[in-house]
Amino acid sequence: MATKILSVDDSRTIRLIVGKAFRPYDVKLLEAANGEEGLAMAAKEMPDLIILDVTMPVMDGVTMLGKLKEDPLLKGIPVIMLTAESGRENVLQIARLGVRDYLVKPFKEDQLIEKAGRCVTLEKRPVAAAA
Amino acid sequence: MQGSPDNNQYRELARRYGIASAPESVSRLTQLVARQDCDVDEIVRVIEKDPGLSARLLRVANPHANHESEYTVDSVDQAIMRNGIGCALLLAMGTPLSLALIKTFQTMVSLKLESVDPHQLDSLNGMHMLCSIGFAGKVTGHVYLRMSSNSARSIAAGILGIEPKEIGGNDEIRDAAGELLNIMTGNFKSNLCDAGLDCKLEPPQVGITEDFTTPTQPGGGLERLAFRADKIEIFVDVSANPWSD
Repeated sequence: MATKILSVDDSRTIRLIVGKAFRPYDVKLLEAANGEEGLAMAAKEMPDLIILDVTMPVMDGVTMLGKLKEDPLLKGIPVIMLTAESGRENVLQIARLGVRDYLVKPFKEDQLIEKAGRCVTLEKRPVAAAA
Repeated sequence: MQGSPDNNQYRELARRYGIASAPESVSRLTQLVARQDCDVDEIVRVIEKDPGLSARLLRVANPHANHESEYTVDSVDQAIMRNGIGCALLLAMGTPLSLALIKTFQTMVSLKLESVDPHQLDSLNGMHMLCSIGFAGKVTGHVYLRMSSNSARSIAAGILGIEPKEIGGNDEIRDAAGELLNIMTGNFKSNLCDAGLDCKLEPPQVGITEDFTTPTQPGGGLERLAFRADKIEIFVDVSANPWSD
């Protein structure tokens, strides 16, 4: 069964890059454009990993992370923050809420794959399917 | 402050997550400027020690000069006295912003941008792309990113890993340009917040303009930066006003 990864980012460009990064792997990529959509998608799909931006409209990533951690069903899902915010207060607050890893934008696709690979199993797709 | 539990924990997290810190001279300057009782002489000494910062300050202090020989303000202390601490703040912000821009384009677009004197480039004539992002808090201002429509298309294609002709429409170009600005400013905003100049970013605005004039704020400063790689030319204008809250 494919690994389910949820990308929560208000930028379609970032969601496309995340999708491109995981294309060679047996991954079902789910997308949400803000924290509210992300929470609903997480509850519905129970992803194996969430890749989460911080600054988003409607509900930001820190609020979404806090709500995830309050939910007994969702709190065990590993989260990697993918954000341009690397300030001390943000990093400390996010670490206290509980994240598996943190990747600062700008990022390279292989950095994302490396960090995701420490959280979930990433199996290569057959070459024809990945193309 | 230096050895507080939070600072130690942050250093450990930054090491584990691979978060790079701002250059020491930039952090020092930002911290000095962030203090409302800042010591102007100390700020002058920090800037004078760094030839790059000194050159940029004099460029900001002589906005109408095309060459050093035309400078009417020709020393760091004179520039600070005439233009205020806003100028030093711009220097503190401009350095991480330049570094963030160069790193963002190299990492996300595989484009090696070179920082150049804005006077070396022709102005953008005719319709071109304008992205702006505001920040508000203990420091307020805007960052404006401008480039030709063709450059914006090439950059969007580069970030998505496709050919420019494969770009579907303007929405993709606008989203890519807005996200690049978001990444750049997110990095330098973190630097400001760490120095005590807490501020929040507003959502980026992306549009087309023909005749761009950077709005200035009373008591604030303005700096223009320029970058080039092959046929791509990028202008960045930063306006900032410290202690505006």
